[in-house]
Amino acid sequence: MPGPPDDAAQRSEGVWHAAWRRYKSDRVGMVSLVIVIAFLLLIAAAALGLVAKDWQKEVGVPNAPPTFMGPAAAQAVGAIEAPKGPNVDLSDIDPLAPRYKEWDERAKQYQTTETAKAETLPLGADRLGRDVLAKAVKGTEISVFVGVVAAVVATLIGTGLGAFGGFFGGKIGDFLEWLYNVFESIPGILLIFAFAAVFGRGIWTVVLILGLTGWTGMYRQVRAEFIKHAGREYVRSAEAIGASRLSRMFRHILPNVSHVVLVRMSLLVVGFIKAEVILSYLGLGVPVDQVSWGTMLAEAQSELILGHWWQLAAATLFMAAFVTAFSLMADAARDALDPKLRGAE
Amino acid sequence: MLAYVVRRLWQMVPTLAGVILLVFVLFKFFGGDPAEILGGLNATQEQVDAIRQQLGLDRPWYEQFWIFVKQIVSFDWGKSWATNESVANLFATRLPATLTVMVPILLLDVLLALPIAMWVAYRRGSLTDRSIMVITTIALSISFLVYVIIGQYVFAFQLGWFPVQGWSDSVWHNLVTYAPLPVLLAVMVGLAPQTRLYRSFLLDELGQDYVRTARAKGMTEQTVLFRHVLRNASIPILTNIGLALPSIFVGSFLIEVFFSIPGLGREVLLAVNRSDYPVIQAVTVYLAMLTMLINLIVDLLYKVVDPRVVLK
Amino acid sequence: MMAGPMLLSIQDLKVSFRMGQGRRADAVKGVSFDVPANTTVALVGESGSGKSVTAMSMLNLLPDNAERSGRVLWQGKDLLQASMPELQALRGKDIACVFQDPMTSLNPVFTVGAQVVEPLMKHMKLGRKEAWARAEALLAEVGIPEPKRRLGSYPHEMSGGQQQRVMIAMALACEPRLLIADEPTTALDVTIQRQIIELLARLQDKHHMSVLFISHDLGLVGEIARHVVVMRHGVVREQGPVAQLFEAPKDDYTRALLACRPSLEGNPARLMVIDDHLEAQRVAAAGGAKVMRAEASVKSGDAPVVLQVRSLAKSFWLKQGLFGKREFKAVQNVNFELKRGHTLGVVGESGSGKTTMGLTLLRLHEPTGGEVIFDGQNLLELSDRERQLMRRRIQIVFQNPYASLNPRFTIGQTLVEPMTIHHIGKDLAEREQRARTLLEKVGLDGRAFGKYPHEFSGGQRQRVAIARCLTLNPEVLVLDEAVSALDVSVQAQVLNLLKDLQDELGLAYVFISHDLAVVRFISDEVLVMKDGVVVEQASAAQILAAPREEYTKRLLAAIPRGYRPAV
Repeated sequence: MPGPPDDAAQRSEGVWHAAWRRYKSDRVGMVSLVIVIAFLLLIAAAALGLVAKDWQKEVGVPNAPPTFMGPAAAQAVGAIEAPKGPNVDLSDIDPLAPRYKEWDERAKQYQTTETAKAETLPLGADRLGRDVLAKAVKGTEISVFVGVVAAVVATLIGTGLGAFGGFFGGKIGDFLEWLYNVFESIPGILLIFAFAAVFGRGIWTVVLILGLTGWTGMYRQVRAEFIKHAGREYVRSAEAIGASRLSRMFRHILPNVSHVVLVRMSLLVVGFIKAEVILSYLGLGVPVDQVSWGTMLAEAQSELILGHWWQLAAATLFMAAFVTAFSLMADAARDALDPKLRGAE
Repeated sequence: MLAYVVRRLWQMVPTLAGVILLVFVLFKFFGGDPAEILGGLNATQEQVDAIRQQLGLDRPWYEQFWIFVKQIVSFDWGKSWATNESVANLFATRLPATLTVMVPILLLDVLLALPIAMWVAYRRGSLTDRSIMVITTIALSISFLVYVIIGQYVFAFQLGWFPVQGWSDSVWHNLVTYAPLPVLLAVMVGLAPQTRLYRSFLLDELGQDYVRTARAKGMTEQTVLFRHVLRNASIPILTNIGLALPSIFVGSFLIEVFFSIPGLGREVLLAVNRSDYPVIQAVTVYLAMLTMLINLIVDLLYKVVDPRVVLK
Repeated sequence: MMAGPMLLSIQDLKVSFRMGQGRRADAVKGVSFDVPANTTVALVGESGSGKSVTAMSMLNLLPDNAERSGRVLWQGKDLLQASMPELQALRGKDIACVFQDPMTSLNPVFTVGAQVVEPLMKHMKLGRKEAWARAEALLAEVGIPEPKRRLGSYPHEMSGGQQQRVMIAMALACEPRLLIADEPTTALDVTIQRQIIELLARLQDKHHMSVLFISHDLGLVGEIARHVVVMRHGVVREQGPVAQLFEAPKDDYTRALLACRPSLEGNPARLMVIDDHLEAQRVAAAGGAKVMRAEASVKSGDAPVVLQVRSLAKSFWLKQGLFGKREFKAVQNVNFELKRGHTLGVVGESGSGKTTMGLTLLRLHEPTGGEVIFDGQNLLELSDRERQLMRRRIQIVFQNPYASLNPRFTIGQTLVEPMTIHHIGKDLAEREQRARTLLEKVGLDGRAFGKYPHEFSGGQRQRVAIARCLTLNPEVLVLDEAVSALDVSVQAQVLNLLKDLQDELGLAYVFISHDLAVVRFISDEVLVMKDGVVVEQASAAQILAAPREEYTKRLLAAIPRGYRPAV
């Protein structure tokens, strides 16, 4: 198969430039990229405390509906009739009766600031009166952070082990295969549960758990790629000219495998975000004083029966928007990087 | 063939040893002190020490490891710390419930995803294909939790087509009354990723040279798809089912929690919340063994499905 | 002028591919030729000429993004306008195909019998038993031993040659009027190739069918075709009866194609290259002087010995049974001496061990026995540090130009790396300068320095690979099928370059190849290998003029000779 003619005017571009050029012409990919970047900026703002800092404050009435719906009608109080007639005077048997007047006067000296609780909030309020919009933003920060960092951890472990296992084979490869088999034999959720039982809750704990249990897929793929490339002639040539083993692994092979790793990592991000949501829902994920999409969904379940659907909607919408955009972006990136479409190999 | 099976069983031993080691190390060195957990918050030091001695935790770690191994081999796990129920009994009573829900889900997922994937592969590149891909992408971005929450609310709570929760003692009654809603929801959610996966298998095969040969012989597209491609795609499909099988034993713990189904998954979850170590350890080790056996059976099945396979 | 009724008439066929984002690639740009009944017509061209696309477009076996225009008349009916059911009725019945790679073209999960029976049951409406009986007869006709047993075999259980016979049997099943054979022997060894084309010729004669034979090998085509169509870059350059094409070609490109094949007759110093040839034609047409092709000079026999190999052996250990191991002897007892400025050619078919032997010389495979003496030192006994120093002196160029350069490195990075590892040149600037000089020495523009491999063709990439070896100033170069993957004209260029470099730098070559004609052109001494052993070893001239061993004679006989007029 002949290559392109030697046109000296042809601009020389590496793999990443060529991929970026291809990516730019994919409309769906660009739109997704914009959405993902918007989310990332939002997350950065939340992390820096610029938005949603006070998500824990109870600024609204409990279960306040979203603004576009208008305030909830005043609840009918119930069947209990208001008592008629004046209050019975209990001063003779009430032991605290002599002190009331004193306390009244003392109380008047204090200023009580009581902010009026909002009747409606942009996306409504949860059962404690907390702003659902603020929770959704903060939840985005936590859930996405956990997903991304855990994916990075799993990628580092899987790539490192896969590189050594695939390149060296022999005893090292056998040991790593044994390690892989041990982790793979235990069904994923069970492994996560076992780790969770032992390590407890917490953001970094979840990151660690997901990273330590989720590296096996990446290992398998990187190992296969390294085995494939180690037999390729450019690596043999590198050996022939005297390149060291580490050089062959990380200067030669790794750059040729990096696009596979990247695509796989994006799949991990999505998977880990969904796993974190489930863990937090079950009470095994982020601690009580944090909010994630999972904790919001946990609360939403009981709220739904009462007819309060806005926390469920908010969490679902934010999550769906980010994950869809991220998935489409990853798909477009994979198409842009695919050597078969590149026509170069 | 026999030599192969023997060799595989022999190779399982180090892996199983690794799993046992992993579980032991994980719980011994990272977990909390079982004596304190069992004693509860208000236990005195003497009570805690007594428990510790009872459980044999004051002995050196290698002795404890040996006891652990003996327990596994003799299938004796003692009792759950929380309910004092024998762990073996736990397995026996919870497993049927899990399987009653999970087996229909697995069957329906495969039986529905395959025809849909084939239809989409037949019409590849068309508007139908692309729109289904977009729909599945969006569907996949919504958490499973949302589907179940809304599903339970709409179908059971509002419309009353199914009971919201519940379980009975008779398998048939469960299958007909209590299982349908969870099964329906799980299949709906699982269909999207499964269809995409099968579609990619089919498209991979459609790009192969032997498909061109079949067309050159005058075969219709239907014959090409149903006879030539499907037969070859059954290899990765078998792999996929083989990978999914071990998971059905833990079940979808989420479904079991939502619908109060007394299955193994929910049991494990309860154990995690209560730090009930024996249960978690037992389930982990036995499921690992089961996974290895299932892998062996799947590998043997490969010989039937793929004539190129040489079992060494 | 072609006699006889036209079976197939292709008129102004154009095929282009939609590449996405609005781009198109024109593969076939207006091709016209005819295929008469009961005739073999050859469609010849180098890679990228559009010959395969032309053939596949007739039955619409192209990928989904192909667009065709023009007319393809099959017995008067335009196939381009035919509906899918009409095409499917023709495919496999009146027009059948044999493809290049039988291993992937056969369905791996069905038995050979099931695949041969399929068209029989569909087109000929045969019952099950009759179809299988006919399949057995077909397998026997194509020369497969034990046909009844073989019906139940799977493709991977057969050799490449047998698989191709199965494909031919499948194609013949319904007695087609036209057989399209797309490079049917390219993937096969030379001796098997000869068997297959003889089989095709016999079958063509017996069944009175036409064969459209697609190939890049003019020599092969000259032996079996009655008419030849030559294509380049999507257009037909010349077509006509085979005798006329070979003896009096009208088109410059055809002439150049004929001239730049290394032949077994004559001993030129350099091969003709297409551009040279076209240039020479222009000069001749303008009345300039005719350029004489120089004869190769005989090399002096008293050059110093650079490499001495004694009893070289390499075995691989394969698992067998429950715990056992089996030894596979890839290379056994190889001995030779290589002199400075000389070339040792190593010839063999696949599985002969020639590549393994070459890799062992560089210790890319660890040998299991023997000695490789380089400048007094046994290469196989060196410590790691000494071996690193030795690396400078013996280098290798691999077969696949698309895999031998790191796709993520620029050409410059590829060339500078060996110098950096071995501390040649005192700084980066000096190394880059040296790299640019070497690029020009191998015939590439110095501007290639900053470019990536995918911007270059196969021949250019091989030049870069050669330049990379030269950065270390080696004394011995192992060339492992280094030109086998290249088109004939590009191959000639690279071979000429190798000869030039040898003359200028005094390099010694170990030239490994399956192509005896190429080996003969470049080698002084030849080693013939089969199944790991050296079958015959002599000077190049002697091997060709007076081969002693049976296998060598068979190899020589299998080489396509091109058109020979009946005497």
